[in-house]
Amino acid sequence: MGLVMKLRFTDIIQENTLKNYYVDGKVCGFQFDVRLGYYRGHYLSVIDELDITVDGETFDKQEITFCLNGKEFGIAELKHQFSEFWTILAPATVMVRRAGGLTPGEHEIDFKLMLHSPYMPLPGANVPHAYTPIDSCEKKTVILMD
Amino acid sequence: MSKVKLGITLYSYTKEYVSGEYTFEDCVRRCAKLGIDGYEIVATQMIPSYPYISDAFIGLVNECTAKYGARPVSYGANTDRGMRYDRDLTDDELVTTTIRDIRSAHRLGCKIMRAQYLLSPENLMRIEPYAREYDVKVGIEIHNPETPSTPVVQAYIKAIEETGSPYIGLIPDFGCFANKPNVDSYNGALSRGANKEMLDYAVSLKYDDVPMEQAMELLKGKNADDEVMASFYSMYGFLQFSRNPDLEGLKRIMPYCVHFHGKFHYMKDDGSEMSIPYDQILPIIDEAGFDGYIVSEFEGHEAGNAPEMIKKHIAMERRILGIVREQ
Repeated sequence: MGLVMKLRFTDIIQENTLKNYYVDGKVCGFQFDVRLGYYRGHYLSVIDELDITVDGETFDKQEITFCLNGKEFGIAELKHQFSEFWTILAPATVMVRRAGGLTPGEHEIDFKLMLHSPYMPLPGANVPHAYTPIDSCEKKTVILMD
Repeated sequence: MSKVKLGITLYSYTKEYVSGEYTFEDCVRRCAKLGIDGYEIVATQMIPSYPYISDAFIGLVNECTAKYGARPVSYGANTDRGMRYDRDLTDDELVTTTIRDIRSAHRLGCKIMRAQYLLSPENLMRIEPYAREYDVKVGIEIHNPETPSTPVVQAYIKAIEETGSPYIGLIPDFGCFANKPNVDSYNGALSRGANKEMLDYAVSLKYDDVPMEQAMELLKGKNADDEVMASFYSMYGFLQFSRNPDLEGLKRIMPYCVHFHGKFHYMKDDGSEMSIPYDQILPIIDEAGFDGYIVSEFEGHEAGNAPEMIKKHIAMERRILGIVREQ
């Protein structure tokens, strides 16, 4: 049991952004936009965990691409982005590879995004490099716009 | 006549800004409407090209200054020591990022920059030549649970004195003088199902200055729920309060103070703040002849109503300091 910061002044999963994406005319996956649930922006390197589950199906991290500032990152690359800044207003697009994409209509997205606040050492922590976690997770039912 | 100048940190409009209700320009306009000529900007929050200042942003800032008459006076920097996944930033890296922030502050025309305590006293001394060169005074924020008299702050004072420079100093946040529990935190814990009796017990332990370890054991012994424990940690940390706030300490550190954060959470109908004794804090600052800014810092975001709360806060400060609003 410890301190976790959770500040919500915006939805994390953005409305009207869920859609399938195409490769050479074929649906190869889906994508949606997310924003950071906090009061300030962060370097992507403070992201500790990013997971996506849709309608109960959890996706391999290798199938997820995180797009921000005109660039694309694999989940494994996020922690190395010490100079890629995600502002508090900017939506990032997450693309998930899934043959055939999603069907039209409602889908329940469980988006897990855990970060840490790089200027707030975890109170009471006795180990170095322990910072206060930020919870930017959201579970939400949205409609595929396709 | 008081020499104290009143400003607002745009962070006060966090909820409105992040939700999209206010743009940056709306925030500046709101300040100006209250007769405020100087604002603070938290760089990681409102600078779109962070950590750099783009020409486009400078253009927007200047346009707002020309239109509304309010300009940036203070640059709120974050000392993000933990931004890497694998290790803390080294001293060299922290100094480098701080110097970049000083340049950004200078570009915006800010004469004050807030740094945070993860910039050590030694590193604060290292950035002094840059602060002087760019004519930006860098102050370490004194934030709960620190107070003017705690050892951490004493170490900074030693560094400042050793340098003998007016370009490095301190920025007390009035939250460290709270004499009552934080109202949002308390009500929030209750609304999330905290046991009221147990929560009040936690408050009483803090009031009685029971050491944290001992207080934790007492609460756990009574099987305090998670919400009470979470609230307890904040009462002994970022939302600390004390029956006897360190106002004597404030008097002693006044020569080192370059700026102040007028933290507040809730303005009562009688024109006073819920848990921070402004009527005792402001006269100390005024009588010391301070001629910089106190920026109102509203942090009751969850409860909301920032514009109204800020208006009342500024009115309270003017009343206590005897400042008549210039029309």
